[in-house]
Amino acid sequence: MRDRFSLVIFGLAGFLIVFMVTSVFYLYIAAGRTWDLVGQTLLDQRVLGALFISVSSSTLVALLAVAAVIPASYVLATRDFRGKGLIETLLVEFPQTFPPAAVGLVYLLMLGPTSPVNLAYSFIAVIIAKFYVSAPFAMSLVMRRFKEIRASGLDTIARTLGADTRQVLLWVMVPMSKTDLLAGFTLTWARAMGEVAATLIFAGAIPWRTEIFPSLVYLTSISSPQLALAASVIAATLSIAALLAFKWVAGAGR
Amino acid sequence: MNRLRVENLTKFYGDWQALDDVSLEVKASEFMVVMGPSGSGKSTLLLALLGVVKPDSGRIQVDNIQYDHIPVGERNFGYMPQDYGLFPHLNVFENIAFGLRTKGVAPQDIDNRVEQVVTKMGLGGLMHRRPHELSGGQRQRVALSRALIIRPSVLLLDEPLSNVDEMTKAEVRRSLKDIVKQFGVTTVCVLHEPSDAAALGDRIAVMYQGRILQTGRLEDLFENPQDPIVTRLLTSH
Repeated sequence: MRDRFSLVIFGLAGFLIVFMVTSVFYLYIAAGRTWDLVGQTLLDQRVLGALFISVSSSTLVALLAVAAVIPASYVLATRDFRGKGLIETLLVEFPQTFPPAAVGLVYLLMLGPTSPVNLAYSFIAVIIAKFYVSAPFAMSLVMRRFKEIRASGLDTIARTLGADTRQVLLWVMVPMSKTDLLAGFTLTWARAMGEVAATLIFAGAIPWRTEIFPSLVYLTSISSPQLALAASVIAATLSIAALLAFKWVAGAGR
Repeated sequence: MNRLRVENLTKFYGDWQALDDVSLEVKASEFMVVMGPSGSGKSTLLLALLGVVKPDSGRIQVDNIQYDHIPVGERNFGYMPQDYGLFPHLNVFENIAFGLRTKGVAPQDIDNRVEQVVTKMGLGGLMHRRPHELSGGQRQRVALSRALIIRPSVLLLDEPLSNVDEMTKAEVRRSLKDIVKQFGVTTVCVLHEPSDAAALGDRIAVMYQGRILQTGRLEDLFENPQDPIVTRLLTSH
């Protein structure tokens, strides 16, 4: 009976692993037939533009996210106030479930051509759309870590030793959350690299200005599927490399 | 001087009264043990003294200066929690120097003062170790050094012997008492074990259900208990 149960558990685990890994492997297998094209694609001006906009905007978004979630996590971890649970939900869980296309639409209406501040179809629009969709990943990790530190009482001990808010934050909470901040940066970056719907609606896909890798894949998937495939391989490789690099750095830091 | 006076402190958590009209006077350089079972309010009293818990009413004074509205960081009370609360990302030197750095003490003075304390505490040679590389006894001495180096007006100790094994307890108790006496600091120490209270305290305040039942020297508490619960708590294990 016990062995049969183990078999079921291992079978279910195997199913999940195969399901999640197949798509990645299939991408590389599919690209394998036209491997030369991946190299050529990297020299394509439009692809280079999309690569530049994707990497630069995702890096900027990840940096902004880390900078923004530190004070927000501190306030939410150390203060109790009415409506705190709702604010946490709106900052962390809701943006992860809110359809990105709807996010793009909201920003287009709020900050688009009909608003006094027209930011649509600009690089700033790319940043705003990606930030909303991606920053909650950093927020979730850093806030959880700050709450753990708070529960351990170490911030209170720092206070008894005369530390002010700046010292508590910069001398205790941030250094104790290094791995989580790095994880937050990496996951935000990877999510921002993959974001498409919100960015496409709010920022459009203007080559060398707002066209990002996923938009390029989407827009060329019918007209030039080989180009879309090659671009997908490059995007997937970058994301996998970033995540593996994070795991290596985080492991070395422990 | 540093005489601590607590007057009529009360604290409610909802319907539950954690502190019920608590008054206590601790003389300068005295080692006062607050002893009582779990839930007696002794930890709440310590946190109220520290400024982390805000009492509903009552007064806290050190040398006739009101402390009720002084924030935690400005009270200059040394505090050692039950788990010692060392910063895991800092080494021994950085942990001990923390309270001096926050106050902007010059680096040379920090070096000198840490050196003095470390020598007194027998922590030489451990300056670059992180807390996880220390034994329980060493961690306690680092935490005590960190609390004492700021020259606190009052030292607050929360169950300092709870993480010490029975084999080394007598030695740690003796060393703790010696160190505190050496620094001559007014101390309030929360404990639940009567034998620890007897070994450490100049006087003992027996606390039960949020109230201090009696305060006095151990002999007085045994000879003239003002409540049968005092005798029961002093003889319980």
